[in-house]
Amino acid sequence: MKIGVFICHCGSNIAGTVDCAGVARRAAAYPDVVYSTDIMYACAEPGQDAVIAAVKEHGLTGVVVASCTPRMHEPTFRKAVERAGLNRYMFEMANIREHVSWIGKDMEANTNKAAELVRMAAAKLRLNRELKPKSFPVTKRLLVIGGGVAGIQAALDAAEAGLEVIMVEKQPTIGGKMAKLDKTFPTVDCSSCILGPRMVDVAQHPNITLYAYSELEEVSGYVGNFDVKIRKKATCVDWDKCTGCGLCTEKCPSKKSYDRFNEGVGPTTAIIIPFPQAIPKKASIERDYCRMFNQGKCGVCAKVCPTGAVDYAMQDEFVDVKVGGIVAATGYDLVDWTVYGEYGAGRYPDVVTSLQYERMLSASGPTGGHIKRPSDGKEPKNVVFVQCVASRDPSVGRPYCSGFCCMYTAKQAILTKDHIPDSQSYVFYMDIRSPGKGYDEFTRRVQEEYGAKYIRGRVSMIYPKGGKLLVRGADTLMGGQVEVEADLVVLAVGGEAAAGSPALAEKLRISYDGYGFFMEGHPKLKPVETNTAGVFLAGACQGLKDIPSSVAQGSAAAAKAIGLLSRNMLDSDPQIASVSVNRCVGCRKCIEVCPFKAIQEIDMRGLPKAEVIETVCQGCGLCNATCPQGAIQLSHFTDNQILAEVEALCRF
Amino acid sequence: MSVLEGKELRVVGFLCNWCSYGGADTAGVGRFTQPTDLRIIRVPCSGRINPLFVMKALVGGADGVLVSGCHPRDCHYAEGNYYARRRLEVLKGLLPVLGIDPRRFEYTWVSASEGQRWQHVVETFTAQIHALGPAQPFAGASRPADRHRPDAAAV
Amino acid sequence: MSIQDELKSAIKAALPDLSCVIGWGAGPEPLRAAPLFIRGEADLQNFSAGFLSVNNPALYLPALKGSKVGVVAKGCDARSVGQLATETLIIREEVHVIGYPCEGVIDVDKVAAALAGVCEPGEVGALREDGDNVALDTPKGEVRLAKKDIAADKCGRCIFPNAENADVFVGIRRAPTVVEDAYADIAAFEARGTEELKAFWEKEMSRCIRCYACRNACPLCVCRDHCIAASREPHWIGQTDDVPDKLFFQVIHAVHLSGRCTGCGECERACPLGIPVLKLKRALSRRVENLFGYKAGIATGTPPLLTFNIEESTIKERDW
Repeated sequence: MKIGVFICHCGSNIAGTVDCAGVARRAAAYPDVVYSTDIMYACAEPGQDAVIAAVKEHGLTGVVVASCTPRMHEPTFRKAVERAGLNRYMFEMANIREHVSWIGKDMEANTNKAAELVRMAAAKLRLNRELKPKSFPVTKRLLVIGGGVAGIQAALDAAEAGLEVIMVEKQPTIGGKMAKLDKTFPTVDCSSCILGPRMVDVAQHPNITLYAYSELEEVSGYVGNFDVKIRKKATCVDWDKCTGCGLCTEKCPSKKSYDRFNEGVGPTTAIIIPFPQAIPKKASIERDYCRMFNQGKCGVCAKVCPTGAVDYAMQDEFVDVKVGGIVAATGYDLVDWTVYGEYGAGRYPDVVTSLQYERMLSASGPTGGHIKRPSDGKEPKNVVFVQCVASRDPSVGRPYCSGFCCMYTAKQAILTKDHIPDSQSYVFYMDIRSPGKGYDEFTRRVQEEYGAKYIRGRVSMIYPKGGKLLVRGADTLMGGQVEVEADLVVLAVGGEAAAGSPALAEKLRISYDGYGFFMEGHPKLKPVETNTAGVFLAGACQGLKDIPSSVAQGSAAAAKAIGLLSRNMLDSDPQIASVSVNRCVGCRKCIEVCPFKAIQEIDMRGLPKAEVIETVCQGCGLCNATCPQGAIQLSHFTDNQILAEVEALCRF
Repeated sequence: MSVLEGKELRVVGFLCNWCSYGGADTAGVGRFTQPTDLRIIRVPCSGRINPLFVMKALVGGADGVLVSGCHPRDCHYAEGNYYARRRLEVLKGLLPVLGIDPRRFEYTWVSASEGQRWQHVVETFTAQIHALGPAQPFAGASRPADRHRPDAAAV
Repeated sequence: MSIQDELKSAIKAALPDLSCVIGWGAGPEPLRAAPLFIRGEADLQNFSAGFLSVNNPALYLPALKGSKVGVVAKGCDARSVGQLATETLIIREEVHVIGYPCEGVIDVDKVAAALAGVCEPGEVGALREDGDNVALDTPKGEVRLAKKDIAADKCGRCIFPNAENADVFVGIRRAPTVVEDAYADIAAFEARGTEELKAFWEKEMSRCIRCYACRNACPLCVCRDHCIAASREPHWIGQTDDVPDKLFFQVIHAVHLSGRCTGCGECERACPLGIPVLKLKRALSRRVENLFGYKAGIATGTPPLLTFNIEESTIKERDW
C-alpha cells in the first residue's frame, strides 16, 4: 500500500498548539507511508484538491488526513478520496483537533500525541479494504410524531411534496401548545386563527393519515425502511361513528374532571371534546373521571349519543406501518413550578402559570376571555408577572434559558391592558431577551405604550395578605426591596422536554441531553438531523424555541425527509458484519446477541453456519466481539484493524 | 522512544462512536483541557469491544485502558452497552489473578453532550494511572520493545 | 449389584438406540484409564468407571452432534453436557446420560509425589480400589494411599459429585465434599498480590511448550481447528515461544470460557508441564457466579455473557 498523510493546520486551530510539519516529518517514517505533508485547510477546496493531486502524482492507494473529528469531515474527505479515484473506505482520519489541539496547550505533548494518532490511523489503513455499498428500496412514507405546530408544518410540507405522511399525536387533538395560546407575539394575532386552518389542512390532506390519542409503541428497522407500531389508545368512543356533536359532553354528569386542554382552569366533563376547533373533533372518555369506570354505573353518554358511538369496552389497538423516515416533533412541557415554596408551591389559587393565563385570555377558554381571579372570580387590577420561573435557575436543575418567556410575558402584559384598561402590570425580570425580528420593539411598546412596570430583580416571596398577594422582590437597578400588592400573579414558567422524551429517544435510538432534549446531528450544521439516519427533529423537542423557529424547523425537517425519500433507492452502509463460513462453527452465539435479528442460521452442506442479512445489519459489531473464532468480522472495524491500532500504541 | 518518556503514560481508550467519542469531541469544542496521555480508538459501539482488546493493550504495555460507551438505555444500537457492561465487569475479575493491577482498567458511560464529564473522566483516570506508575512488561519476550516504531529514530 | 455392574447393565439397555456409549476402559498404564467408545456389548468387558475415570467424555459430544450417543458421566462430566446443551452446541435429547456418584478421581502427579523415592508412576504394576484407599503394586511392594490424598484438587471442593440431570442415574447419591465452591483457592491465590502473581505467570508460562493440550482437552472449546490462537484472520497472537504470546493464549482461553467453564479441570490435567491454567478460568467463574449467580452446566437459560438486564443490581458502576 502507498499511503499519503496530510496534517491539517485548521488555520491556527491545530497549528497553534501542534507542530504540524513535525508530525508530517514523523509520519513519513511510518510503514507504507510514501508521502507526507502539512496543509493549511484540508477540508477547503484547495486542500481537497491537494489531496487529490497527491493521490494522482504519487500513486497513493490510501489516504490519512489528520484534522478535526471524523464525525465532522469524514464524509467530506471520503468524497474527495473517491474523486481521486480511490475507494472511499481507503481513508482514515486522525482527530488532532478536538482530541489534541483544543484540549491542551503543551506543544511538545500535543505534537507527540498527534503523531501517534496518525500512526494509529496509518496502521489501521494498511488493513482497510475497498467496500462497496448495496442499494435497497425506500418506503416513501414519513412518520411525524407530535401534532404541534412544528409537526403540523413538517407534515404539511412533506404531504405537499407528495409524500404519504402518518401523524401520531398523543393527545385527542392536534394543535399542541400553540392551540392553547390566545394571541402570539410580536404581532398579537389570534393563535387559533392562524393555526386552525393548518390543523384543518392536516385533517383534510389526502396524503396525511392522522392517529390522534395514539403513541409510538415500537420502532425497528432502519433508514428507508422503519417498521413502526402505533398504539391507538382506547377513547371509548368509536370515532368512525362520532360526529363531534357534543351532546355527550353536555349531558355527562361527572363535571369535575381535570381539564387538560385548559390547564385546569375550571373543571370539565369526563367525556370531552378538548376545544371547539379540535382536530379531530371527536369525543373521548377520560377513564379516571368517568363514573362508568369508577362506580360501574352511569352510561349517560352512551344513552344520549345519537350514533351509538360510545363503547366502554374499547381496548387499545395497534397499527403497524412501514415508513422511510421519521420526524420527532414532541415539543415541551412546562416545568412543575410547585417546587418553589417561595411562590406558594401551588397553595395560592391566584398564582397561575402563563399557560393558564393564556386560557383565561382566550375567548374560547373556560372564562370566555374574561380575566378572573380563580379564588373569587373578581377582575384583577394589579397583575404581577414573574419571569424566569424554572428558567436560568440551576437550583431546580433548569440552568438554561427557555427563550420564549420574555416575549410571551410582554404579550400577556399588553393583553392584560387590552382586557382591563384600568389595570396595572408589573414584570419582575432578570434580563429581557428579545433578539428576534420586531421583538425588542415589542418589549419597549409594552413598557412605553402600555405602561407595564418592569422591575429588574427576582421575586423572593409571594404570600397572601388580606385577599391580595404580596409580592416581595429585589429591584437591582434601583437597589432595594420592592413590594407589590397583586390581585393576580402570573408565573412565566419555563419549559422542559415533554414527558416521556427519553423513552421515545430510546425507541428511536437517538441521543438526548441531560434535560431530555433530543440531540441534533451537529449544533450548527445539522440542526434537524440526528445521528440516526432517517430520524429528524422539529420544534421544541430539540431545544426550547418559539413558534417562528418551530415552524422553520418543521419545514427544515420536512425538507430533509423529502430529500431522503425522494430517492427510489438508498445505498446501504457497507460497514457491516460478514461471516467467514470456513471459520464459523455454527455455535449461534452471534445469532443470540444480535440486537437487530440480522443474523440467521443457514445450512451449508449439512453444517450449520451463520449468515448476515445485509440490509438488516446496522454495523454495531456486537457479533464480532462475541464470536470466539472471530469468524464474523465487522467490515472497516475488523479485529485486525483494531488490533493494528492497539499494536501501534504498544510499548512491549 | 517518545520524547515524553517519564512525563506521559500510555493510556488507551476504546470509545463508541455515537456517545463517548462525541463526548470527547464536545469536550474539545468546549476547550476542556485534559491530560495528553490518552490515545483514543474509535469503535462503533461498546458492544464491539472484545474484552480481549483490553487484555491485548494491557499485556502489550498500556499503563491504563479506559472503555467508554453510551449510558445504559442510550445505546445507538439499543443493546450493545448492556453486553459490554457484563463482559467488562467480568473481565475485572481476571486482572489481579493474572498479575495486573485491576485499577489499570476502567469502563464508564459518557454521552455525546457530556463534554465536561468526559474531561472529568480523563483527568480522574489519568491521575489514577499516574498514581500506579508505568506498567512493567511480562518478562520473557524475545522481541525488542518498540518494535512497532520504525519512526522512533526519526524523532 | 456394584455400581460397575449397574452401569454396565444401564449401558447395555441403552445401546440398541445409540451409535455408541462413551465411557472409560484400560489405558496405557495402570494409573491411567482411557476413553472407551462402546459400540456393542462385546466392548463392555473393557469398561470400568471409578477412581481412574479422569477424562471428561463430554469432550467428544459436539463432534458427534446429529447422532444419538450415550455418555457415562461423573458430576463434572454431566455439567459439561449441561453447558453444551444450554449453548445448543449439542442437542440434549440426542445424548443419553448415564450418571453415577463420583468418589473423586486420581491426580497422577500427586501419586508421583507420594511415591517419591519408591518408583515412578509408570512403574506401578496395578492399582486396586479398596474403599477410601487404593493399593498400588510397586517394584518395592504394595503401597497403600488414601484416595483423598491423591485425588484431584477439584475433588476436594466438589459440590456436584453426582451427575446432575442424567437420564439414568445408578447408585446412591453422594453428599458433596463442600456445600458451595467458595473459591477459597482463588482468593488465596489473588491475595499473593499482583507483583508476585505476575512473576508467577512469567515463570509458569516460560515452561509452556504451546502444545495446546489444555485447549484440546476442554469440552467447551468448540472452535477446534478455527481457534484464533492459530489464525491470521484475525491475527490475535504471534506464533512465538515468548511468554506474552503464550500467556495471551491462556487469557484467550479464559475469556472465551467466562460464564461457560464448569471447572472440570481437564485443561490443567492435560497440561504436560503441570501449569495451573485452571486458576484463570476459576477466577472468571468466581466473578460470574458472584455477579450473576450463574453456575455453568447447572443453571439453565442463556449464559450470562450472551444476555443482560437493563438494570444490573450487582454491578456497581464507576461513579465518575
